[in-house]
Amino acid sequence: MNQQLVLILDFGGQYTQLIARRVREVNVYCEILPFNVTCEEVKALNPKAVILSGGAASIYDEKAPKLNKDIYDLGIPVLGICYGMQLMAGQLGGEVSSSCVREYGSTRLLVKNDQDIFSGLSDELMVWMSHGDHVTKIPDGFFVTASTGNTKIAAIANNERKLYGVQFHPEVVHTPELLRIMNANCTECNFIRKWCIPRTV
Amino acid sequence: MSILRNFLFDVSGLKGDWTMKSFIGESIRQIRDMVNNDEQVVCGLSGGVDSSVAAALVHRAIGDRLTCIFVDHGLLRQDEAKQVMETFADTLNMRVIKVDASENFLGKLANVTDPEEKRKIIGDEFIRTFEREAAKLGQVDYLVQGTVYPDVIESGTAAAAVIKSHHNVGGLPKDMKFKLIEPLRQLFKDEVRKVGEELGLPQKVVWRHPFPGPGLAIRVLGEVTEEKLSILRLADAIIIDEIKKAGLYGDIWQAFAVLPDIRSVGVMGDNRTYAYTIVLRAVTGYDGMTADWFRFPHDILANISNRVVNEVAHVNRIVYDITSKPPSTIEWE
Repeated sequence: MNQQLVLILDFGGQYTQLIARRVREVNVYCEILPFNVTCEEVKALNPKAVILSGGAASIYDEKAPKLNKDIYDLGIPVLGICYGMQLMAGQLGGEVSSSCVREYGSTRLLVKNDQDIFSGLSDELMVWMSHGDHVTKIPDGFFVTASTGNTKIAAIANNERKLYGVQFHPEVVHTPELLRIMNANCTECNFIRKWCIPRTV
Repeated sequence: MSILRNFLFDVSGLKGDWTMKSFIGESIRQIRDMVNNDEQVVCGLSGGVDSSVAAALVHRAIGDRLTCIFVDHGLLRQDEAKQVMETFADTLNMRVIKVDASENFLGKLANVTDPEEKRKIIGDEFIRTFEREAAKLGQVDYLVQGTVYPDVIESGTAAAAVIKSHHNVGGLPKDMKFKLIEPLRQLFKDEVRKVGEELGLPQKVVWRHPFPGPGLAIRVLGEVTEEKLSILRLADAIIIDEIKKAGLYGDIWQAFAVLPDIRSVGVMGDNRTYAYTIVLRAVTGYDGMTADWFRFPHDILANISNRVVNEVAHVNRIVYDITSKPPSTIEWE
């Protein structure tokens, strides 16, 4: 097909299909592929952009799904969402830690840099957070573009390489219905919060 | 949302030219490239949105080299077979063969209670039935299926566990003799509907609520029997009738009856009854990925309740399913 393509790589996130829906809604064709796609496969598909989905793992888990690192060097813009951002940061030399406080729900985001993915948006946005781990050190060449009260590094960018990460879920639109469904499923995260043991001492 | 837009358009320079019109043109070209002039194609038509749109798209591409086979597996809703034949054979002038295979299907399903096993059996039997029918047509090379993108994804990417095996993907027998044409496998449901409208399919086909391939077999929980099927069929017809009369059909993504394998005590007239429960399921949604239960006005629920319990023999109770997806799924099996 001659259609311009966006690749969404699935790291097991619950919102992966939602990302695809959002991309299609703005008349952009996209496909979801498993995270372990090779760099050659990506090159052959010639996508205009790559989105890394969220996922339940922690990037330091032994079996954590990883991206083939060469894909970051293809010159194709990459947006990492949640786990995708943590993975990008971790794989390119940054650090990620797990915190006992899980951030879950609608959160105020302070935008520090209104270029690129934040261009034309206001300085304060309401965004959907759903994570335990977070980035604690950004890789060289990156800078922090947004933060929240609990998460200092809530968005990162390397404009030169066109690599972007957001800790929140831009694919989640704040309709009252969706918020109700998601809040209904929050019992589980309260449970996790209560029993969580810090991984790093 | 605007962050994604910025990433796609400003940062990545995408054009945003994916429309259903461009999809149809491209898809027709691909189908013509794929199928030679002397090759025959069959399509399994279920009457649902997906297979209807798939059939219409392939018909647009290759005309009467497409023959549709409509399998009555005995698991259809009330008057469904009649409606499908009227729409496709009479209105759209497509070649449609109707096969009554209900005895085969119900025979194979006897004593089977496991939902995944039901789905596999039905998927398998579907293909066998097509093969038999298609053999009567002479050489047939391709089978059209209305597989949509969520089926492809849900049937297993590396990271996502199998949620339910869809009968048109996971249940395919390994020795299948057809090559597949799945023109909708890249599309989400709402995109399929847009394609259907572009192709001029009747509104009642395009906006019909989704109906699962295994049909009522996965709405009769436990063993599937003729008796249970006829109870469910009648209850389902009443529910849809009341919803349509109330003008709510278009507001609901999917509404139907489920017959769980439970009985309870009731009193009708002066007699104690011990009869089946019907579950009413109605959800709003957008693409089947997430769904919320529909907030019925209470008087509509009352009408449904009265009619189902009064008109359907062996039913003395009706309950309303008030769970969203997630954590539930829309169907019960």
